[in-house]
Amino acid sequence: MFPIIGLEVHLELKTKSKMFCACSASHFHVPPNTHTCPVCLGLPGALPVPNQKALNYCVKIGLALGCTVQKNSFFERKNYFYPDLPKGYQISQYQRPLTIKGKFNSVRINRVHMEEDTAKSIHQDNVTLIDFNRSGVPLVEIVSEPDITSASQAKQYLLDLQQLIRYLGVSDADIEKGSMRCEPTVNLKIDGRPTALVEIKNIASLSAVESAINYEITRQTQNPDFSKNKTTRGWDADKQATFLQRDKEGSSDYRYFPEPDIPPLEFTDQQIKAIASTIPELPAQKIKRYQSYQLSDDDASLLAQDKNLADLFDATIERQNSPDFIKGTANLINGSVRNYLNDFPTKPLKTTPQNLTLAVNASLSGQISWTTAKENIYQSAKTGEDVMTLIKKKGQFQNSDQAELETIAKKVIADNPKAVGDYQKNPNSIGFLVGQVMIATKGSANPPLVQKILKQFLK
Amino acid sequence: MDLNKISLSGLKKSLQKKEFSASDLVKTYLARIKKIDPKIKAFITITDQEALSSAQKLDQKIKSGAKLGSLAGAVMSLKDIYLTKGIRTTAASQVLKDYVPPYSSTVYQRLIDQDAILIGKTNTDPFAFGASTQNSGFFTTHNPWDLNLVPGGSSGGSAASLSARLCTFSLGTDTGGSIRQPASFCGLSGLKPTYGRNSRYGITAMASSFDCPGAFATSVADLAQISQVMAGHDPLDATSSKNPVPSYPDKLASLQLKGLKIGLPRQYFSATLDPDIKSLVLASAQKLKDQGAILIDISLPSTDLGIAVYYILVPSEISANMARYDGIRFGSSAKDSKDLLSYYTETRGKYMEAELKRRILIGTYALSAGYYDAYYTKAAQVRTLIKNEFASAFQKVDVILAPVSPTPPWPVDQKTNDPLSMYLADVYTCPVNVAGLPALALPCGFTAKNLPVGFQLIANYWQEEKLFSLGHQYQLLTDYHLKIPNL
Repeated sequence: MFPIIGLEVHLELKTKSKMFCACSASHFHVPPNTHTCPVCLGLPGALPVPNQKALNYCVKIGLALGCTVQKNSFFERKNYFYPDLPKGYQISQYQRPLTIKGKFNSVRINRVHMEEDTAKSIHQDNVTLIDFNRSGVPLVEIVSEPDITSASQAKQYLLDLQQLIRYLGVSDADIEKGSMRCEPTVNLKIDGRPTALVEIKNIASLSAVESAINYEITRQTQNPDFSKNKTTRGWDADKQATFLQRDKEGSSDYRYFPEPDIPPLEFTDQQIKAIASTIPELPAQKIKRYQSYQLSDDDASLLAQDKNLADLFDATIERQNSPDFIKGTANLINGSVRNYLNDFPTKPLKTTPQNLTLAVNASLSGQISWTTAKENIYQSAKTGEDVMTLIKKKGQFQNSDQAELETIAKKVIADNPKAVGDYQKNPNSIGFLVGQVMIATKGSANPPLVQKILKQFLK
Repeated sequence: MDLNKISLSGLKKSLQKKEFSASDLVKTYLARIKKIDPKIKAFITITDQEALSSAQKLDQKIKSGAKLGSLAGAVMSLKDIYLTKGIRTTAASQVLKDYVPPYSSTVYQRLIDQDAILIGKTNTDPFAFGASTQNSGFFTTHNPWDLNLVPGGSSGGSAASLSARLCTFSLGTDTGGSIRQPASFCGLSGLKPTYGRNSRYGITAMASSFDCPGAFATSVADLAQISQVMAGHDPLDATSSKNPVPSYPDKLASLQLKGLKIGLPRQYFSATLDPDIKSLVLASAQKLKDQGAILIDISLPSTDLGIAVYYILVPSEISANMARYDGIRFGSSAKDSKDLLSYYTETRGKYMEAELKRRILIGTYALSAGYYDAYYTKAAQVRTLIKNEFASAFQKVDVILAPVSPTPPWPVDQKTNDPLSMYLADVYTCPVNVAGLPALALPCGFTAKNLPVGFQLIANYWQEEKLFSLGHQYQLLTDYHLKIPNL
């Protein structure tokens, strides 16, 4: 027995206006029915005009997933009645999607196509309220082939897809806010016989994807249905179980046909090339490049995880790229900067490549300690203050005055004959003598320099 | 002033010379509507207050010496499927009987921006589904030439209102002949422009890939002037063309009749054509031949498939276009339904006229799983065939001359129970819509019973100026378009 899993992912694009009208596409925490017009309300006589930016974004996603762009494609009408679908049809794609046949994480992609979102139904008390702010928001659908074999693989696919989409800058891809939605299809092959296909809806988080798929695998294993009935089941997060929503086959015939209000879509080689050129370096490529800088696998993938941090890293190492500098920069970003973002997830990141460069160089030259660098980069990330000014203000520069440190070192050697004796037997015990110099300088001495001086005197 | 003799160019001059004011003009039209419309029933809504207030504004403009729009003072009626902001728009259906739209159609806005004055909204078959106005959800309009007969349709109210001189010009829409056929039945000139020439934004949709807004006028010269204002790209209609619009009125004399190749498609002169109409249409061709044009026999073999293609593709598009009339956001709706499905079926069951239901059913059937390829796909293929036949015809001839309607208008109490014979009324007009070509209908004489008969001139894409020039020169040689019904 093994599971056969496919994923349909919907993404709301981050365009300014909606898919077919000039209304603002933002609808999260917006007063209901304020971003509407005759087009997205489906009033008599209103006509859709496609948003070119959204079409370009769809092509961009398709290209990033290794799909082929169909230079001639067209919209179709998907007909069904529901109060949140004002025209009585959704403008979508069916026979000729914008892009087809890609591959992502070794999962084959069937298609990436363009469509529009529906309005939002809010069921409360005994009425249903409809908010049309979401009606007509650009929606891209990414359909995978059923190449996934476990819930954890499905989750990883979604995590990586989310990261990729954010890299492309075309969608927030936020599952909790609904800008990324996924509907797995799950069935099993038991002794070569496939069970009936189940599509799972109402999944509102990544962990729910995993739980819902695992629930279905167990359910279908215990009660295998070998019929050809394709069904839709909802995910109940409270009960941690799926429940039958509808028997799909037979009841829904969407009567797709070409959308006559919109001329066929055309993309030239030149346009496709121009869109391809807007695709940034993607996470997988980035990790490889970082590894080539001799960063550890963990450091490399941690940096690549968040495009903003990767961009900050790349901008910092643009002018200076010695292995020590790169390693120091990676440490400060994966440490201080990431800590700041974890502590204040909604606040802006204010520090600059210049600040990072100064802090790394000062640490490498012994002017400051790494601890000082970390502390002040964290603060600079929060406030945007210049790190060197901060360090100066706090008096955190290390004492690297050779003559002064030599005088102190001589006195420490004279005062600690026992420790000197220990050192002669065991050179690793120099730490005690270094510590004494640090105490004498109230911690301001540059430890590597102190060690160097002591070793010279004790030769 | 004599409303029977008003022309657009004369009207603007009269206003500028202060022979009469716009207010006087509107009052005169309103008085005539009051007297005559009860016999014809062309109007669903008479916008008397709005018309008077527009006229007053125009009079102020004239007084102040401001520049006047190209249609200054022209009093127009609109087929009641053009949305008019703040003014009830019913589509002649119970579905929208109290609907007041929050926005205006692009074409209407362009006309009033040129100082045209709206005097009323006219009857049609509901949502333009029909060829006679008999399907209207309110009443049937009568032909001003014979009150016992239909004015044609679906833009029958518009044609009747202009034929009776209750306005200076009128707007209709032509999806399968709905401008040309009523123009022919009522003795008017009417243009079905190239698909995409005029914006469809703000006009209730029938079949999106066929619908063409257009105008009726009492002469081709007037029609050219009105069409000039209507035409051009609209950013709100993705199917409207960015092709430049030539100056139609300046090109009325541009076409050389001598040597002009006019094609007569033999399939349009077959046995089903009424003999009176046939001889009048052929006489109009002869008249152009007398001026040096060359008549060429051509063949458009798929003509008889036009109706079949039309009545698959049009209802398919209709079935989706009518889905928004669910009673949820606007329009008439059922009360106290027990659940959502009952709400839909009761709303649509109760308020939609029989012809709407008929076409929704045909279209839904044709698009259903298992039938789609046999109907929709096949019809779309034949559509390409028909386009190609016209294209090869236009390699041989400059324009095509043909009859508009196979029969004269029928009595108002006939055909209502025979939808199929009603569909056949479009046999000579709908191939042009299937292909998306421009065509001009204009009067070419009268039957023995003194009913007007029209013919149509069909040109290649975007060649409206050729049609206007040929039609105008024909009207300089004839006076059929000057005849007025005796009311």
